[in-house]
Amino acid sequence: MSGRVLVVDDEVEMQRALRAGLGYHGFDVHAVGTGEEAVRESASWRPDVVLLDLGLPGMDGFQTLAALRPATRAAVIVVSVMPGEKDKVRALDAGADDYVVKPFGTEELVARIRAVLRRQADLTAGEPVIRSGDLEIDLAHRAVSVGGKAVRLTPTEYELLRYLALHAGKPVTHTTLLRQVWGDYAVGDKYNTRYVVAQIRKKLGDDSSNPRYIVNEPGVGYRLEAS
Amino acid sequence: MLRRALPYGLAVGGSVVITAAIAEVQLFTSVAGLETVYLLLVLWLGVRWGRWPAVAASVCAFLLYDFFFVPPVGTFSVRGPSQLLELVVLLAVALVTGQLAASLRLSHAQSEAIAAESRALYQLATAALRSPEVTSALSLLCERALLIEGVSRFALVGMDFGHAVPLAGGDLTADELKQASWAHQNGRAVGMTVTDGTIKLMRTRPDAGSPAYVPLASGVALIRVESEHPAPGDLRMLAALVGLAGLLLDRRRAALESERARGLEASDRLKAAVLSSLSHELKSPIASLRAGLTALVAPRAGLEPEQTELLQDLDRQATRLDHMVGDMLALSRLEAGVELDKEPHRFADLVGSAMRQLRSDLKGREVTVEADDDLPPVEVDEVQVGRVLVNLLENALEWAPPEGKIALGAVARDGVLEAWVENDGPPIPATDLDRVFDTFWTRRARGSGLGLAICKRVVEAHGGTIRAENMRRGPRFTFTLPLARVTAAQ
Repeated sequence: MSGRVLVVDDEVEMQRALRAGLGYHGFDVHAVGTGEEAVRESASWRPDVVLLDLGLPGMDGFQTLAALRPATRAAVIVVSVMPGEKDKVRALDAGADDYVVKPFGTEELVARIRAVLRRQADLTAGEPVIRSGDLEIDLAHRAVSVGGKAVRLTPTEYELLRYLALHAGKPVTHTTLLRQVWGDYAVGDKYNTRYVVAQIRKKLGDDSSNPRYIVNEPGVGYRLEAS
Repeated sequence: MLRRALPYGLAVGGSVVITAAIAEVQLFTSVAGLETVYLLLVLWLGVRWGRWPAVAASVCAFLLYDFFFVPPVGTFSVRGPSQLLELVVLLAVALVTGQLAASLRLSHAQSEAIAAESRALYQLATAALRSPEVTSALSLLCERALLIEGVSRFALVGMDFGHAVPLAGGDLTADELKQASWAHQNGRAVGMTVTDGTIKLMRTRPDAGSPAYVPLASGVALIRVESEHPAPGDLRMLAALVGLAGLLLDRRRAALESERARGLEASDRLKAAVLSSLSHELKSPIASLRAGLTALVAPRAGLEPEQTELLQDLDRQATRLDHMVGDMLALSRLEAGVELDKEPHRFADLVGSAMRQLRSDLKGREVTVEADDDLPPVEVDEVQVGRVLVNLLENALEWAPPEGKIALGAVARDGVLEAWVENDGPPIPATDLDRVFDTFWTRRARGSGLGLAICKRVVEAHGGTIRAENMRRGPRFTFTLPLARVTAAQ
């Protein structure tokens, strides 16, 4: 799988390293140093993925993200040095598709880029069955099975799993889950999601202390592992 | 002298004039009860000058009336009981009238005085509260207090975070400051008490001439009263001034405290800003380094296998450096007083996150988790406690033999969750069991000595304890976490 990657980072060394590293993995890479350029380039060059560093001079990462979101359909992976959990949540809520913590290895970054590209492809194809290992979620029939065996979920449990499945591979924040599954009034009561996730794991035969399907994103939320 | 004699002269003269007037009237006609005219004089004197001139006028009137009008006229003797009664009634009525008039005058004078005091206090209070500088307001107050008769000293001491600081009314000796601190710390007045706006001078003074110390909420008033029996009005004024001083000292302390809070906040912000900029400065070069090194590892980079191997070694070193910098920053943050984001969490979830973070290191290792499904949730900061588990697991990975086992588990006990991480590596020497948590202490030549120090800081920030011990199988690290208040939602 290849694609166009726009690197937004003010460090020339980082730009050069990513251009080489991602290039070796078959990506078409373009690098810019400011948020303004990123907005311009994403409109004209039309990247599939934007790697956006949050610590930009001038127009900062969050402002750039806000400017990119309505203008482009590219997936945005936020990159940051030691981001606080609040920054991660803020970036995800502002429309980022994933975040990567600096320093990272090229392999790890490539895996994350491929994951968001695959998700984009799945979404455009309108794939009705989402898989995570031997877990299958059939959105058209509201059916969930593990290793071919049907699993009965309550409506709340199913809604939560469905939302994670629609965003498979992407971290979903507690706030988003609460709003999507329970509604606005429930926002703030994170123990709700923890309780329901524990129930779902139990029914899927998963182990909370070593989960295979729904994994924790500490301080942020949950992610359904994409196969 | 003349002014003192004046009311008495008026009493005598007035009585004589009235007697002459009554005599004049009686030449023409006989009017009963004319003697009451004396009462007008008594009334007027009572109202104007008080009790004693009124008494003097009453006695004068009594004598003159007896002499000139009560038969036998021209003598002080009386003829019969009815005349005697008439005279006694006149005297009694005159005395009572005088008394009433005098008390009317007194209460009028008192209310005048109180009104004057209130006006003075009001002006002082407005001036004091309006002045932006509390100290100048306090000086104003001390000056006013010295105007009170018998008050020879009035000084105010502020208690700033345990230290006595003279603020207004002159300097204090070291002994006086010590005495003031004592009075404030113990809440005990010395020489004088002020309760509900009433001052009481204590009979027993430590020694003559030493000032009184009145503790206030935010300071102490040092007062010296010379006279043994000051006027009640003066004491009222003094009490009001002490009350006002208390308010001003409170205002001063509130201002000091908010200033101090602002200072602390600014220093916290500065620390956070320094740490965040430091982490950026230290980590950015490592980020470029790792991105570059790992880029060249790709097969399409076309390097020889030994070159690739060298790059991978270098990347491992860069990663080590990254972890060390991360640990140091984490420790500094914890020491700067990190704010914990505590929420109820299931222990299994915390373990799951930690295991996932270490999944590549844990690959092929046997890790067992012993924890009941129905363990009560803990009230912790997920990210910080995740760091504890990751550090303890990394430590276990370091020490367990390649085929060895790592076990972790938890039980709820005595209102806390007791969790442990154990490996079957070599035991920790008994002398080192306490030292393993010290910053920069490490058993390894290449360890940073920060991992376990971070664990200790995080656990203690949650109000828990952590300890190392040697079990039969190998070393075990046990720590406690607070249980959440909610037992289970829904």
